Amino acid sequence: MDYLEILDRSNTGVYLSEENWDLEKVAMTCMQLVRQYDLKWDRQIPVPDDPALADRIFAAGFELAASIGAYNRSSERVLRFERSELETGLKQMKTSLSMGCAADERVLFPRKIMDTRPPLVWAGNPGAPHPEALFLPAVMSWAQEPIVDLITCGSLAEVDGREVRTGEALEISATRRELTYLHQALARVGRPGMGLLAAQSSVSELGDLAASHPHYLRPCDAHLIPMLNELKIDNRNIARAVNSIEYGMRNGGLYCAIAGGLGGDAPGCAVVSVASIILGNLTNRADYHILHPIHIRHVATSTREVLWVESVVLQAFARNAPAIIVADVYPKSGALTRELLYETAANAIAITVSGGHLEGCGSADGLLPNASGLEVRLMGEVGQAVSRQGVSLEQANRWVLKLLGKYEHVFQLPGGNPGVRFDQAYDLQTLQPLPEWARMYDNVKKELQEIGLKLRIFD
Amino acid sequence: MNTSVLDLIQQTLIDGDAEAAEAAACSALAAGLDTQAILNEGLMRGADIVGQQFEAGEVFLPQLMFSARALKAALAVITPELERLGAENGTGSRRQGLVVLATIQSDIHDIGKNIVSTLLTTGGFEVIDLGVDVPIKRIISSALESGADIIGCSAMLTTSMPFMGDLIRTLESMGERGRFKVMVGGASVTPEYAARIGADGSAPNAVQALQLARRLMDKA
Repeated sequence: MDYLEILDRSNTGVYLSEENWDLEKVAMTCMQLVRQYDLKWDRQIPVPDDPALADRIFAAGFELAASIGAYNRSSERVLRFERSELETGLKQMKTSLSMGCAADERVLFPRKIMDTRPPLVWAGNPGAPHPEALFLPAVMSWAQEPIVDLITCGSLAEVDGREVRTGEALEISATRRELTYLHQALARVGRPGMGLLAAQSSVSELGDLAASHPHYLRPCDAHLIPMLNELKIDNRNIARAVNSIEYGMRNGGLYCAIAGGLGGDAPGCAVVSVASIILGNLTNRADYHILHPIHIRHVATSTREVLWVESVVLQAFARNAPAIIVADVYPKSGALTRELLYETAANAIAITVSGGHLEGCGSADGLLPNASGLEVRLMGEVGQAVSRQGVSLEQANRWVLKLLGKYEHVFQLPGGNPGVRFDQAYDLQTLQPLPEWARMYDNVKKELQEIGLKLRIFD
Repeated sequence: MNTSVLDLIQQTLIDGDAEAAEAAACSALAAGLDTQAILNEGLMRGADIVGQQFEAGEVFLPQLMFSARALKAALAVITPELERLGAENGTGSRRQGLVVLATIQSDIHDIGKNIVSTLLTTGGFEVIDLGVDVPIKRIISSALESGADIIGCSAMLTTSMPFMGDLIRTLESMGERGRFKVMVGGASVTPEYAARIGADGSAPNAVQALQLARRLMDKA
């Protein structure tokens, strides 16, 4: 389907108030589908091994997409799609996507359940605001990790000491400077061709447009086209997508359905997530998909609800419509905490065994610059071990339950478990973790080896 | 008899059934029940139960929003009577307070703001929800025109947060800061940030936003 058709439907679809979209369309339809398809979850099974359940989740998500469509918040109109259009869209999804160039090129592909091909490791913490002085060393800390395949980053919250404001002039400067730092980081670690998901400092379309140039975002890079909660787009994001198509860059469709939100509990969130990908494939012009469910209270992807949603949605697509899906790892905890490592491992196990690629870590909920390369290293090591060992869904579930026992208390902490800023966890001269952080990593890695993960050491 | 009618009203809120809530409120008025009892012991108690269930994770956002919709439908029925009684005894009809609420200019995230809006409504506040990406001039003009007690702003994005400081400085330069309490919230908003920009308070979640609004009204 041509993007012009999306523009047309955005202007000619049936008018509906946003409140009615939220309640009458999304919430009501979702509740009915959860009942109709008998969708249930068990808090003791964050990684389900139930093919029929995964198929029902997919069928319900498709039904949601077909029966209500998507909503354009700018025009307050509903974009409806024929079933055949959605099906054709699914059949035409990319099965191979090259990112980056030269020796650093990587090719994304749809993974299968219990796939023995390792997930690609996309390192970074989109959304996390960074002081300018920390941006470059933080990105280098994960770009220098050999296990990392692709790079993303947080945003610049200030430029030359001035606050960046969305939609104002400094958004342009911040986005271009972010890209400049990213290319500097890649050059300094000797991997200049690594593929990027960037322009994270661009919230409006301003920065995005300013960075669509080979000196900044190259055609072999990607940027985010988010779907708004739930099943909504707006003209600004359509503009970003169209700019990308005209320029020849990749679009990463981002879907952050809320567990406990309009879809209801975890099963409804999974249904909304499936529908988001099916619709975002067309409305967001997505070349690949980023799965990032959010817990309504705890935010983190390491909650039982979100672990389950990520797992079952990945399985649903792997079984019914193979797609390139990168799943986000956004732990509650931040750098220099053991819990961050446990959360990262749990997420990496669940995503890898269920058929996703890995992106993260948005440590400390992705709200603070409290992330480092070390937890990214662990994320990749766990992902590679899970795929290499051919771990079963049942085994993965047992491991995740053990890890939940080690970190789940952080969700009850009033201030979360933010840990420390990057520069308090890493030596900025050597760009190596401080001894205490390195010891925590070694100890957690031993624990993971003891429960059965055969982790390799990467030099 | 009265208790069973009030229980029925409560139940319509718990069920989130707007038509039933409206009908129950009509029946209660027709039966001559005390309007304040319909409000406080029927509607607000039902809304409070749903709010507690939401806080405990027993129900989810749709149930909360349907409950708020049912509350609004029933309030539309009893408000004229409340206003008449208020005019008679000189107490006015305003409920706990009037809040002008918005996701600040440049930010389009609304789920958190919507939950706050719903909990404030079910918690007894009158809410004017201006939506997302609302220019500060519009927030201020809406607050001035409506005679709001509280201005509530949310920003999820760090790069949108500066506009909340702009709002407060604009109120100050207009000489209108003293007319409103300003509460702020959002994923990255901390109490320290709220204090730095001169807000009257911040809340990390919707339940605490309701508590904050009540505290601010006590101080007003």
